[in-house]
Amino acid sequence: MLLLYLVLGTIFGFVLSRSGAADYDYIQGMFLFEQFQLYGIIGTAVVIGAPGLWLIKRYGRTATGQPIEIEAKPRHRGNIYGGMLFGVGWSITGMCPGPILVNIGEGKLYALAALAGALVGAGVFGAAYPRLARPLGLPPLQRGTGDG
Amino acid sequence: MPLIMNGLTPIHWAVGGAGIAAVTLTLLFVGNRRLGVSTGFEDLCALVLDQPYFRRPSLRAGSGWRLPLLAGMVLGGVLSAVLGGGWEPTWALGTFDTMIGWGPAGKVAWMFVGGLLIGFGTRLAGGCTSGHGIFGLSNLELPSLIATVSFMAAGVVFTNLLYRVIL
Repeated sequence: MLLLYLVLGTIFGFVLSRSGAADYDYIQGMFLFEQFQLYGIIGTAVVIGAPGLWLIKRYGRTATGQPIEIEAKPRHRGNIYGGMLFGVGWSITGMCPGPILVNIGEGKLYALAALAGALVGAGVFGAAYPRLARPLGLPPLQRGTGDG
Repeated sequence: MPLIMNGLTPIHWAVGGAGIAAVTLTLLFVGNRRLGVSTGFEDLCALVLDQPYFRRPSLRAGSGWRLPLLAGMVLGGVLSAVLGGGWEPTWALGTFDTMIGWGPAGKVAWMFVGGLLIGFGTRLAGGCTSGHGIFGLSNLELPSLIATVSFMAAGVVFTNLLYRVIL
């Protein structure tokens, strides 16, 4: 199974790399409404993904016959505040989390600094979770804000 | 518009979107997992940090599949460069170079600050473009719509502020 995730990650990374999703100029072009490319990519992924997901959930089992078990993400104020902080970070770097890794693979050296920042940011968030949970209405620590 | 990497012409957006959907659906149908990348940052943090948040079982249970997925994404970038004109280390950053023009030290600082916001923000939001924007929206989850609208709006505001107001 480990090989499955490695291969899926490789395909995912290759597609992000070649489609412009891991390209600083295409990300700025998206936010400036000058490039349709990223809207087309995300839109197509959701338009195909939604009925595909519906079918898999309706079938209810994986390829090996296990029941499908996916947890819906909880709703909390972090969806908005965290989303806004992330959006600014995406604009600054031209990378969302996946493309940080893809850009490192491509040989873009500054992406290593983005990864370092992201790990420190995630580390600070996790360490501060007990203090952030009440004011931001986050789920209990054991649940977290949502995987993904 | 060519890609920054080797000046390649990007694949059509429909092909890119279909490829991402295929990965998402395979991950669910074969692996029984929901696509998501940013929790992988927590998995990496959990390798060295010992706070209760990084010791929760729900996180530890997923690192066995998320870490190989993340490693694959780096590998995908390497393969893309090698098969597309060759791999070499670079500081090239497209529009940033022509409009802002900072050297390596400035880029490292800029990227680190942006990275902080990405790491903290995605974990506070409970997901990123893949977990909320692709999987969450495909699964018709309201928190994902809220998060996606929030990060898209903030990105639009900041990029427009930077490239149309400040510069």
